[in-house]
Amino acid sequence: MRTSCAEVARTLSADSITLSIPHAKPYHGVARLVVGGLAARLDLSYEHLEDLQLALESVLERGGYVAGDEVTVRLLVEPDSVAMTIGPLDPVEVRADLEGGRGDGIPLSRLLATLVEEVALEEADGGHRLRLEKRVPMRRPEPRAPV
Amino acid sequence: MTAAGGTTDRELLRRYHQGGDLEAREQLIEQYLPLVRSLARRYANRGEQLEDLVQVGAIGLIKAIDRFDVDRGVELSTYATPNIIGEIKRHFRDKGWSIRVPRGLQELNVRLSQLLERLTAELERSPTISELAEAAGVTEEEVLEALESGQAYTTVSLSAPSGQGEDGQVDPLESLGELEHAYEVSEDRAVLAPGLEALDERERRILHLRFWEGLTQSQIAAQVGISQMHVSRLIRRALEKVRDEIATGRRFE
Repeated sequence: MRTSCAEVARTLSADSITLSIPHAKPYHGVARLVVGGLAARLDLSYEHLEDLQLALESVLERGGYVAGDEVTVRLLVEPDSVAMTIGPLDPVEVRADLEGGRGDGIPLSRLLATLVEEVALEEADGGHRLRLEKRVPMRRPEPRAPV
Repeated sequence: MTAAGGTTDRELLRRYHQGGDLEAREQLIEQYLPLVRSLARRYANRGEQLEDLVQVGAIGLIKAIDRFDVDRGVELSTYATPNIIGEIKRHFRDKGWSIRVPRGLQELNVRLSQLLERLTAELERSPTISELAEAAGVTEEEVLEALESGQAYTTVSLSAPSGQGEDGQVDPLESLGELEHAYEVSEDRAVLAPGLEALDERERRILHLRFWEGLTQSQIAAQVGISQMHVSRLIRRALEKVRDEIATGRRFE
């Protein structure tokens, strides 16, 4: 019997995927697909996948957040959550929108509070990145040997 | 630009914005229709009639006239051009499937939308990607690809006139107007933020239910009587409109 990727992934205690893409809209779909692929491996629900993808889009597609021509998205699988870090970001723009909004649209803080459980602006490697953590129920069957 | 009677744009704009002179507004609209027509011509031959595009572009012109700040040192033509083009582009986006999406994926997306409803009801929770794949008889990758292709789609109803359709059916989104009275009295300043001006009332209400009331997509779908995937598209499209609006506004700051 074929062992599915989902079953193999569920035997891991932690997993991470790092993706660096040009900061351009056509590439954002690539990042969405990667999040989708991970969600499929972890057996996440459609609604959880939607939340993660929408949170990602909210950061990538609003002008002024991403600093530079390239953006790195890192997905970290933890026992009961998926954490997404996105960067490098312009800390002034992001912080302003996290702390009450810039008054010109829906504040990032409100969007993210609906979509994920934890939001943190972190400084690392000389740049800033946003860490978004979504708690998700993960069904983890008994570990089995990979094929 | 100077009107036939020697009245300048700025005078007409002041008469409209400060004195509520609707004739001045009409005059401005007529004056700038050639600009709309010229911009619309750029987008003709893409499957839409030129006259339809002119009408769509005219909506962008009217929005530009209505939002124009007479105290800024910007010409109306400079301010109106991106608004007109934005409205025409939005029209193409709202029209339906992009021709780039293969028919097979379009059909799978439609099937997935139906399966999502069925499985959510059967399982009493949102299904996983593998459950959707199994029900559709395709691989998980195909499900993800079809869902991603759905990003290129939105329904015409998002921008269609409200009220009864030709078949006499009321657009289900119309019912939102009766659902959310709290929205009407919301004091959250974001509700009135300039970025939300691009949204119609129905889109604002969908966003309100999701991000202010905290309803899930499936709860909104159940409450409104449309599919969960339709709710998802409406939310994405509305957020994209807000982002576009903010980007346009920032160019003139």
